[in-house]
Amino acid sequence: MRTSLVVLLALLGAALAASGALVALGLKAPLALRELGLYYVLNTIRDCASPEAVAAIVWDYRGLDTIYETAVLYFALVGGLAIFRAAKAQGFKKPVGLTELSKTSTRLISLLIAAVSVCIALHGHLTPGGGFPGGSALAVVAMLAVPIYSVNSMLERGITSTKLIAVRGAALTALGLVALLPVIRGLEIVTNQRFYPGAVLGFTISGSISMYNFFEFMAVASGFAALALYLSIPEEAFREVVERG
Amino acid sequence: MIVTLLLLAVAALLSLVFVYLAVFERDLMKAIVFSAGQSICYSIMLHAMAAPDITMTYVAVSVGLYSALLVFVVSKTERYEEV
Repeated sequence: MRTSLVVLLALLGAALAASGALVALGLKAPLALRELGLYYVLNTIRDCASPEAVAAIVWDYRGLDTIYETAVLYFALVGGLAIFRAAKAQGFKKPVGLTELSKTSTRLISLLIAAVSVCIALHGHLTPGGGFPGGSALAVVAMLAVPIYSVNSMLERGITSTKLIAVRGAALTALGLVALLPVIRGLEIVTNQRFYPGAVLGFTISGSISMYNFFEFMAVASGFAALALYLSIPEEAFREVVERG
Repeated sequence: MIVTLLLLAVAALLSLVFVYLAVFERDLMKAIVFSAGQSICYSIMLHAMAAPDITMTYVAVSVGLYSALLVFVVSKTERYEEV
């Protein structure tokens, strides 16, 4: 234990000395933007009606890449679902769960996580964030609810894995439609500003960027929540279904 | 500038400590907690490097989802690792 402490302290000393030496040698963060970065900073608001350069690059400038990426994720999920075929998350006869203390604290935390995740997703075109971080943050609520309240808590509220997969499919279809709709007016696929309005009733929606963010949020949140439900299936029930073929 | 570099150095080293602890821990639940600690260090580093978008995704996935998923996986096997 003492040896490892000495090694760690030595490493810390070396790291601090290295950072000190780098500063002493005159290493500075590059303050001037490169040409490409400068283009995005100056033109994002005009090209995409969004002040968030990252969201604009992901969903507009390089939008087609992101659509293909989402499609890959979609088909990967189809493969995953094939493994879980016919297996359904079922409630226990006697609901199990953790203590009242953890249940109450989870209730409070879940509310906060849900609020923050919606903010991350719906503000994704204005501030850092977006559909994927928001959706995965919301999915944490489902991941917490299943072990702490038992899977019955979700099934009793009518949240089943079938419904969640349906929501995911609908959200991804809507995402695809948002990308495809400009084609009917003869524009390229994944067109943003020439087809969608930048603001509605005075609210900046950055054209299609906020729509993509919202649908991605729904898709990611429901997909991961369904995963939490599938993982609650006991090993024996699952094996029975797989062996039956 | 120096503060950023110091923060990066300390967070990187702390993440190394967490990785060491996670690899050598026999209790898999504790190993998951150490792994989440390592992820927190990484998100501090990402934030120090001024990448808030990546930080948000990284925190949600690696601290929240990944840890929760591993807890599920450990619940399907044994909690203590045997040598």
